[in-house]
Amino acid sequence: MKTVAKGLGVTGVLVFTLFPVYLMIVTALNGEADVGSRTLWPDEWTVRNFAYVIGEGGFGRYLANSLAVALATVLAGGLLALLAAVAVARFRFRFRTSVLVMVLIIQMVPVEALVIPLFIQARTMAMLDTLVGLVVVYLAFSLPFAIWTLRGFVAAVPVELEEAAYLDGASWGRMFRSVLLPLVAPGLVATSVFSFIVAWNEFIFALTFMADDQNYTVAVGLRRFFGQHATDWGAVMAASTLITIPVMVFFVIAQKRLTDGLVAGAVKG
Amino acid sequence: MTLAERTPLATEPPPPARRSRRGGAGARPWLLLAPALLVMGGLLLYPLLRVLVLSLQDFGLRELVSGRTHWVGFDNYAELLGNTDLWETVLPNTVVFAVVAVAFTVVFGTLVALLLARLTPVVRGLVTTAIMVAWAMPAVTGTYVWVFVFTPGDGIAVQALDALGLVDAATANPFSGRMSFYAVAALNVVHHGFPFVALTVLAGLLTIPRELTEAAIMDGAGAWRRFWSLTFPMLRPVFAVVTVLSTIWDFKVFTQIYLMPGGDGVNRNVLTLGTWSYVESFAQNRYGLGAAIAVLLTALLLVITVAYLRLLFREREL
Repeated sequence: MKTVAKGLGVTGVLVFTLFPVYLMIVTALNGEADVGSRTLWPDEWTVRNFAYVIGEGGFGRYLANSLAVALATVLAGGLLALLAAVAVARFRFRFRTSVLVMVLIIQMVPVEALVIPLFIQARTMAMLDTLVGLVVVYLAFSLPFAIWTLRGFVAAVPVELEEAAYLDGASWGRMFRSVLLPLVAPGLVATSVFSFIVAWNEFIFALTFMADDQNYTVAVGLRRFFGQHATDWGAVMAASTLITIPVMVFFVIAQKRLTDGLVAGAVKG
Repeated sequence: MTLAERTPLATEPPPPARRSRRGGAGARPWLLLAPALLVMGGLLLYPLLRVLVLSLQDFGLRELVSGRTHWVGFDNYAELLGNTDLWETVLPNTVVFAVVAVAFTVVFGTLVALLLARLTPVVRGLVTTAIMVAWAMPAVTGTYVWVFVFTPGDGIAVQALDALGLVDAATANPFSGRMSFYAVAALNVVHHGFPFVALTVLAGLLTIPRELTEAAIMDGAGAWRRFWSLTFPMLRPVFAVVTVLSTIWDFKVFTQIYLMPGGDGVNRNVLTLGTWSYVESFAQNRYGLGAAIAVLLTALLLVITVAYLRLLFREREL
């Protein structure tokens, strides 16, 4: 391929992928009185929008809610997924394949099908408008992928290492902590990032379950800055930036593992 | 669930489980599995059965408050299938949008992968990071930015199209028309979805031995010919998997449609199965009908998923 064509291609891809991100940040920092949606390079720069959304906008509260929900999901999800992954990777038992197929199939279920019954259920159990209710739901969403990914990492740990631990007199629990856990730690990092992002980005359940705006997560809290007739785009974009940056940081951390996973999963053998 | 929607199930690192020498170890695997199975069974499988049951009931605000059940058999389905909106608006919106979005996602993703494969490692790393950034953008914020770009009147895109003489910025509202609404939605979904395709296909491209490509060049095959005679046949399974997964994701796109102006049910011309189900349930309090719509969407996805599972089983031992 010609160098010029490659250069054009690279430029095109960079512009297409980064333009929305660029526009989001620039609009958030736009200090002009009227944040026109045409501005690609404002005359005046400011962090006023950030101060506003966190202070008066109540976004600090939403960030704290989302952080709490996401961390709880990560911790509980990591533990449950690791135990399940050990079961399917290390033991041969009846219905093992059925369990794996089920894990795959439930990924297909659209959230619209789940949100109706779970809303009714949560209402009955007085779990609406609580952060715990969201954590439980997000746990279920993140588990199938986490189990599926971790089982590969667990399977990659040589059984001989485990057996050596038993020969040294270690109990199963001791072996789990001292041998297995350190070796699957990279897998846990990848699945933790995934679970965090599931909880951080989720919109429908947060929208449906949360009535009191004190309990909003970031994805739902963002809607506050949309007026009936006018939208405070500076505030919307400042809040959007605050939501997006943590996800991007995590993506960069997990990039290697995510792409390695893609390679291993996509390529036969 | 941005990443959930865009992260492949096929990201399975190394080999399938080896036979443990302590194989068939009685209750232990079930004890380990129990907590995860309880959560997934209670929050994914049980609600799925529940939605099936709900679709056979007239479940409204009264039933929600009293907890009583009111069976109506297949009335909800009769109403759903007898509604001309389903056939003229909702189903075409859902299916045509998914097909077009998948086509663009896969074709553009493949082109980007072919480009990436020809770059030097440094430039490739740079572009890959940019692609990751697009992938990492949450659906909620991504959608708001695209809505901002297409704001009627002074949105950058509307102004640009006006400058090209394609629309009149004073009157153009990209969100009012069905076609233009979905054009913006497709742009958003492709931006968010192509990174997965590009990186997966790139991974596949890097496994094709150099010698094969060089031999094809020696034989005088052009780029087009090389792709269809060499690359595509070798990567057929990769293309199959990214296409099926993209199809599943694009059929159930919700947040991106719902958050666009009018997408939350205000503009009935742009309803999809997903947003229609949600609006019937939570705006109209007609949970039974909403459930029937959700069942229809789930059935569609089940068919696609079965195709996906068959592929997975064919490609490698589970």
